[in-house]
Amino acid sequence: MATITPDIAPAADPSTAKQPTTKRDYPGALVVVEGIDGSGKSTQLYLLKRWLEIGGYRIHFTEWNSSPLVKSATRRGKQRRLLTPTTFSLLHAADFADRCERQIMPLLHGGYLVLADRYIYTAFARDAARGCSPHWLRNLYGFAPAPDITFYFRAPLDVAVNRIVAGRPKLKYYEAGMDLGISLDRSESFRIFQERILNNYDQMVETDHFVLMDGTVRVNKLQKLMRQIVSEKIALQQFAPKKK
Amino acid sequence: MRSSKNTLARVPPNGRPAKQRRAHAAVETPPRFYGTPLPGVRPEELSGTLVVIEGTDGSGRSTQISLLTEWLESQGFAVQTMGLRRSYLVGEDIDALLAENAVTRMTLALMYSTDFFDQLERRILPALRSGLIVLADRYIFTLIARAAVRGIGRDYLHGIYETALRPDLTFWLNVRPEIAFDREFKKSQTISYWESGRDMSLSNDLFQSFIRYQSMIKREFEYLSKRHGFLELDGESSVSAVNRVLRKRIASHLGIRSTQYKPSHALSHLWR
Repeated sequence: MATITPDIAPAADPSTAKQPTTKRDYPGALVVVEGIDGSGKSTQLYLLKRWLEIGGYRIHFTEWNSSPLVKSATRRGKQRRLLTPTTFSLLHAADFADRCERQIMPLLHGGYLVLADRYIYTAFARDAARGCSPHWLRNLYGFAPAPDITFYFRAPLDVAVNRIVAGRPKLKYYEAGMDLGISLDRSESFRIFQERILNNYDQMVETDHFVLMDGTVRVNKLQKLMRQIVSEKIALQQFAPKKK
Repeated sequence: MRSSKNTLARVPPNGRPAKQRRAHAAVETPPRFYGTPLPGVRPEELSGTLVVIEGTDGSGRSTQISLLTEWLESQGFAVQTMGLRRSYLVGEDIDALLAENAVTRMTLALMYSTDFFDQLERRILPALRSGLIVLADRYIFTLIARAAVRGIGRDYLHGIYETALRPDLTFWLNVRPEIAFDREFKKSQTISYWESGRDMSLSNDLFQSFIRYQSMIKREFEYLSKRHGFLELDGESSVSAVNRVLRKRIASHLGIRSTQYKPSHALSHLWR
């Protein structure tokens, strides 16, 4: 049986946590963006996608938490606030697995350039901020293919939090990390939760080879840089429209 | 494969008598969790007992659990049960996924683990904190075996469940696949898609597919039995004989003297 899942021996020491599998047996490529809410990552990935789309490249865009299969469970859990750090994490992992097995992997094997708005590092940063063990999380997502480029959009906490709070009438319960019982005030809870996530992201910059992007730089300037990095690191002609 | 690094590691055969367990608690009792306990759980406050019954469909698990529940209640013990796909959070979603046959193996494995941890955290741990006896109609071992025969790494699977609670007693009702087939067919006049592993394209013949799949599962259980110290029982003996052995082991664990039991009228039809 063909397998996309290597046998994973859990790391002996949590500090030497396992890296995503780097074995590539597919012609496709994977570019992901990561960062806290309000860091500007989605805008930048959208612009990258438009650039490639307009150029006629073989691309597919995928985002976190979008699979219909586990949507009802996620909704039920969130509405009734039934989720614990573990079930919250597992449900998102199931959702990701569905996308991974039915979209990302087939597309990578089919020679597509896959663009992902958030990837496994979102789970590492966010679920660890909720109290899940980083070692357990690394193992949980061990089946995920390693990205070719991981852009990490970093904006100062205040800038990111203000962007989100200004644009939204009310922060949602889990989004604000209210389940952690840090603070009864949603904005305050959100801020502290995002700070923990930001710290967790920062710790992965070196170990997971993030390409650091300054989220305070002007949008078009940052996009220019992003396109340049993609062109350098990925053989784009491989995904270009075939000439007849 | 069986790396010593893995925290969900081998344990000595469990089921020592309750008194002895307490006397030597610090030295002899294996920790209640395989690895890091679940976030926010203090193992020392779990005073109840977790008894797991594993075995394939047609091994007589549910029958034994009904009988054990009645016996324990007659002895004055409060019982809580758990099983697969019984969580409020995703139980019905898994039923729907299975009905569609469109789900892939990793998603299914993770949905089952969500189902497991939802029951564990929201029903089983509270029950154990209150000193109840939890009878589990299957546990992480079935989930590991099913995913492992579909090619998902055993260490990966053990890693997911390393935050699970280690059972006090794990019984394995072992039956040959042929016997399980007879029993299942008699019960429902057909063989289920998943119990015959039809997603694995083993054979177009349902009987062959069922036998091959159940044999693979059985081999996985033989491995798990060694690794986790199962108490293996002959699931092909009579219901009353299996029940007698179960009562004896559980009684000795709980410190119950009398293991005499005869099912009430309501359950007498199970007593074969």
